[in-house]
Amino acid sequence: MTKPYLELRNLSKSYDGRSRALDGVNLTAGKGEFITFLGPSGSGKTTTLMLIAGFEGATEGEILVDGTSITRVPPHKRGIGIVFQNYALFPHRTALQNILFPLQMRKMPKAQATEKARHMLALVGLERFADRHPREMSGGQQQRVALARALVFDPALLLLDEPLGALDKNLRESLQIEIKRIQRSLGVTTIFVTHDQSEAMAMSDRIVIFEGGRIQQAGTPLEIYDRPVNDFVARFVGDSNLLPICLTDPAAGTGEIAGIGPVRIPAQPGRRAGEAATLLLRPEVLGLAAEGAPNTCRLAVETVVHFGDSALVLGDVGGTPLRARLPGLAAQGISEGSEVALSWNPAAGHLIPAA
Amino acid sequence: MSATTAAAGGGSLRPWLLLAPLLVFLAAFFLVPLAQVAVMSVSDPEWGLEHYVAIATDGFHLRVLLDTFITALTVSLCCLVLGFPLAYAMAAAPQGLAAAMMVVVTMSFWTSFLVRTYAWMVLLGNRGPIARFVEWMGFASPELLFTRFSSTVAMTHILLPYMVLSLYGVLKRIEPALPRSAASLGATPAGVIRHVVLPLAAPGIANGLTLVFVLCLGFYVTPILIGSPREQMVAGVIGQQVEEFLAFGEASAMAMLLLASTLVILGLYHRRFGLDRLWG
Amino acid sequence: MRLALLLLGALVLAFVAAPLFIVVPMSFSTAVSLEFPPPGWWTGYYTAYFNDARWTTPTLNSLGIALAVSVLTVLLVTPATFALVRHRFAGKGVVNLLMMLPLAVPHIVMAIGYYAFLADVRLLQTFPGIILAHTALSVPMAFLVLSANLKGFDRTLERAALSLGASPAATFRHVTLPVLWPGFAAAALFAFVQSFDETVVALFISGRDTETLPRRMFDSIRTQADPVIAVVSTLLFLAVAALVIVPVLWRALSRRRSEARP
Repeated sequence: MTKPYLELRNLSKSYDGRSRALDGVNLTAGKGEFITFLGPSGSGKTTTLMLIAGFEGATEGEILVDGTSITRVPPHKRGIGIVFQNYALFPHRTALQNILFPLQMRKMPKAQATEKARHMLALVGLERFADRHPREMSGGQQQRVALARALVFDPALLLLDEPLGALDKNLRESLQIEIKRIQRSLGVTTIFVTHDQSEAMAMSDRIVIFEGGRIQQAGTPLEIYDRPVNDFVARFVGDSNLLPICLTDPAAGTGEIAGIGPVRIPAQPGRRAGEAATLLLRPEVLGLAAEGAPNTCRLAVETVVHFGDSALVLGDVGGTPLRARLPGLAAQGISEGSEVALSWNPAAGHLIPAA
Repeated sequence: MSATTAAAGGGSLRPWLLLAPLLVFLAAFFLVPLAQVAVMSVSDPEWGLEHYVAIATDGFHLRVLLDTFITALTVSLCCLVLGFPLAYAMAAAPQGLAAAMMVVVTMSFWTSFLVRTYAWMVLLGNRGPIARFVEWMGFASPELLFTRFSSTVAMTHILLPYMVLSLYGVLKRIEPALPRSAASLGATPAGVIRHVVLPLAAPGIANGLTLVFVLCLGFYVTPILIGSPREQMVAGVIGQQVEEFLAFGEASAMAMLLLASTLVILGLYHRRFGLDRLWG
Repeated sequence: MRLALLLLGALVLAFVAAPLFIVVPMSFSTAVSLEFPPPGWWTGYYTAYFNDARWTTPTLNSLGIALAVSVLTVLLVTPATFALVRHRFAGKGVVNLLMMLPLAVPHIVMAIGYYAFLADVRLLQTFPGIILAHTALSVPMAFLVLSANLKGFDRTLERAALSLGASPAATFRHVTLPVLWPGFAAAALFAFVQSFDETVVALFISGRDTETLPRRMFDSIRTQADPVIAVVSTLLFLAVAALVIVPVLWRALSRRRSEARP
């Protein structure tokens, strides 16, 4: 990672003086990075965003941008662009006037401001809508105006607070791509808040998982997906089987799962034999077992849900519920009530140490 | 920073600074005059409770109070009986028609009491359309104006919009699926109205009745202009005491009783529903 | 049952509407006293109204008073409404009740109170006296209208403005005020109408030189002396009709316009 551009140091927030909505958050972001805050509601992600924006004061800790503390700078002097959940476009101003607003506040000469605003409007593909009022535009168009408005004054940071939540699925996907494109072309450091994990996976350089006012894990989307540090992250991102496992020989990579028996896992040097842990198996790493393959189990099938390209097979193995996602063709022969042999590549299992 | 840290909590001076001009104004130009009425009721022409004693014992004043209550009750019930079908029709009508009906009701609501009172003088006058129709039918022309009937009709008409708007507010919010599901569960059309619509409309009914009753209790203009001179309402008697006899003490004592009755009714409403919803 | 209710509703609507519209033909009637249908038609009473200072002076008085009342009311109520809607503080409930109290007190009670009070402070039968009294009576409705608007105001708009570099003062001027503008207009309108129509208090505290239109109308109806009352009633009714219908039409039109756009 490059040198930190945004830095959160031990950030805490308490609204009532007792319980903490945010509890000791530390995070750094490089210039131009696209970081997503992901977590359930009340996890602290929005509070963190409000602290960065300056709408709430931090109880403890510091916020630094480019090496300078902004912790006590009022929001209107922070120069941070924000796109709000409901866009917060000014209803009495046209699209162009909305985008002009931050430039007017900065007393930019009118001609220059107009040119800049029009350029921004073109960047989001809305040149023809300059004179429309927000109520005359669709949700997606309003969203783009809000983005243009937040970017037109070259903000030090761009904050996006669940900006796609109100849009339907197709529009959301096309806007995800568009936001990402614009963000890259401008190189603005961006923090994106969402509770939608597929959005986070699709857009982010790094994902930060929040829960209970703390950061649970920060990492690239693939790190988060493949190597979650705890049960919460494993469950929150992606579909998962979490199997209690007892390590028999960690250095060699073996363990035992109740109902399945001895299994092979990635080697765990530094762990002790007999230690209890959790093995994460994503449903898609399970496949129909080839003869003599390692890590085989027999699944008593209860339900098969076909999606066309794939199918979800639900059942249990010796009393442990298990779900497998199989390619559509492979799943065609499986009937409910039957039994199938499944196996997984030992390297595809991920061991989560006990908390 | 004003806009950001608004809900600062108890110790803040800011809300009181914002409130100060209005509070000073209301204290000086509302509470003081109101208090003066209370003081006059026990001090004019001399200190004592004589006016209250007189009101309680002389028969005339109690009679007026009772008449006023009966009139207010009659008007309130008439408004409910007439207002419910209208509000119901407005809630059931398609959007355009409902808007047109709403225009009529709000037009009535905003039109001056005096204009509407005058209209009823025309309608009920002995050379008005109703009297003429009766004569044309071959009957003797009835005396409609300057009776209890004429003031009751006019007040009902004048206060009806308050009732309709209260009822419409609740009826419009009833989920359309509810009457349908009640019907699908076997309720007759009358049963739907009795067991589903009316209970859900109850807050609006209470709201409308309270508003109309309270406004009617203190009604001055209409009863004086087209009511019976022999059966006056409280407000009229109070005005007469001041205008004709300059009897401020007696008028103030009556005014205090009127105020107390009003506040008791509003207080009852407040305990049950919360006063801030009354004029919502 | 349902049909009967709807039918009854239509009849009640006629009951609501008929008296409103009857004043219009009355104003063109040649009749000297109350008579309907009119024996003949002319516009003579309109000429009479506009040329008679006994009618035009009270009309202008009332317009001036109502204008002053609406301005004063909005100026007083606006900061108070912000305090009550946006702040939490001890004593809020009491303040709220106090602001609503003028609506709860019957006007006849306040009429006596103002008569005595204004006489004491030597403002009886003066314009300032009437304006102060009417302003107090206008506070509750203006507060209700404005607070409903303020509660519906989306505060993220203010946060957006701050994040875009507007100071708190600039935010108030460029965002809060313009967005709440219809609320201020509505509050001012309520205050204006309540003052313009207020009869009872004005009967007791206005004088010969400060006569208001409702007072003049009241006296005219009471003595049945002057058919011009029909003209005044018609003009007032038409003003109300315009006030109610224009916004409805405007909304319908602007909806059609925005639908016409691609």
